Amino acid sequence: MSQFWGYVRPNDTVGIRNHILLLSGTIYANSTAERVADAIDGAVAITHPLGRCQVRPDLRMTFKTLVGMGKNPNVGGVVVIDHFREEGCTADEIAHEIAKTGKPVEVVNIRKSGGAIEATAQATRKALYMKRELSKQVRQPVSVSNLLFGLNCGTSDTSSGIGSNVALGVCSDKIIDQGGRSILAEVMELMGAEDYIRQRSVTPQVADKIVGYISDMERRALESGEDVRGSQPTGDNIVGGLSTIEEKSLGAYMKSGSSPIINGLEYAEECLQKDPGVYVMYTPGHGSESITGIAAAGAQVLVFSTGGGHTIAHPIMPTIKITGNSESFEFMKDTMELDLSGIFRDELTIQQAGELIYDEVLETCNGKLTKAEILKEQTGFAIHRVGVSI
Amino acid sequence: MAREVHVIDPKDNTGTVISRSMTKGRAIEVEVAGEVRQIEIQQDIPYGHKIAVRPISRGDTIYKYGLSIGTALEDIAVGEHVHIHNIESNRGRGDRYKQATAAKEALR
Repeated sequence: MSQFWGYVRPNDTVGIRNHILLLSGTIYANSTAERVADAIDGAVAITHPLGRCQVRPDLRMTFKTLVGMGKNPNVGGVVVIDHFREEGCTADEIAHEIAKTGKPVEVVNIRKSGGAIEATAQATRKALYMKRELSKQVRQPVSVSNLLFGLNCGTSDTSSGIGSNVALGVCSDKIIDQGGRSILAEVMELMGAEDYIRQRSVTPQVADKIVGYISDMERRALESGEDVRGSQPTGDNIVGGLSTIEEKSLGAYMKSGSSPIINGLEYAEECLQKDPGVYVMYTPGHGSESITGIAAAGAQVLVFSTGGGHTIAHPIMPTIKITGNSESFEFMKDTMELDLSGIFRDELTIQQAGELIYDEVLETCNGKLTKAEILKEQTGFAIHRVGVSI
Repeated sequence: MAREVHVIDPKDNTGTVISRSMTKGRAIEVEVAGEVRQIEIQQDIPYGHKIAVRPISRGDTIYKYGLSIGTALEDIAVGEHVHIHNIESNRGRGDRYKQATAAKEALR
């Protein structure tokens, strides 16, 4: 049974980072959040264009996602910033939910504190003292069973479905065998894998729920004028060698390994169930929206498998990028962690490639920084939307 | 020597081409279900595309990853290119798939 060194939170969740989070409640608090994050060592700003004039389901989604960022175990303390009095997504309401974890949370309102400069001063001071306290925390050895592991892929090519995704499945199974959990998302890319999801789901109810996500996403796309069955695989997929939607989807599905599918999760839903296995989240194929949903569920680390290369990196959930395409690795080696192209040269078995990913995940959990973390690449935060702006 | 065709699962009747020299008439070695087979390439096949590693009949299920990715629209010989011209999705619109399956049923 492996262990890693993590930060144990008051609610017994385990983080692999100890971020101070400057959480912008609405678009109008973004600049303040960014100024404070620039001023405080190791602080991270979460900013976004939402929180105002959204239809109710979207406002709830924004609220749930922002709360999920604060509750994520990689965050040690949070300062939530808003600018006036919002409807249904106030900084106080967000902070109230995050505080249930027992971690320190503070609120700054730009209007009440006297405008941008005073709000910046207040938030900086709160973050300063929070950071002093957090810096006393030391890592403790904990079991791999504490891991909630994120799975995602994007810019896929031939090497993804037959190489890096299959190896990622091996890594996921290894974490689950030790009591951990994984999250598989991107519902659109499960179209055609329905029969296999049914076979692996622990109950018919769970299978119905997940297959329901797929048909719901398909219906939503159709209502907007996009028949996914006719447009998938896409023209470039076909040139690349993919012939059917099943072939494309099953290649993506490979990264979930062979462990049982325990349950479905709504977008950004906190994964409260502890049974080891795979959880399937309702997210779109949009990479940043998808991995943000996974981070909001409480995942500490995510492996992103890519064929052509990708710059994606979530601000608070270390995002390890792997590829089975040696050319892509060479093109983007400042951006990618692992080159698994040895699979196709008989230098690596799928099992060995899975072990390499697992070792990288554990080192990252112990504190090894991803390239994107060092370069402060924060391309991976985006909130999924279902409706119009009003 | 590097592999030229990657077969994932013992059940698969297709393999993925991971070589850029899959030219018609060449004889290559492919490992299928743990056994090395000699296969003659029937036409030029681009990198990343599929090749039949077992004989396939019209209406048969096409396997990759050990899972179904569609149905054969015609008989496909070992070494032939397997792509949108001779297979069809079961999950997509499926018009051609229905014809292929009906033809197979009629033969029974």
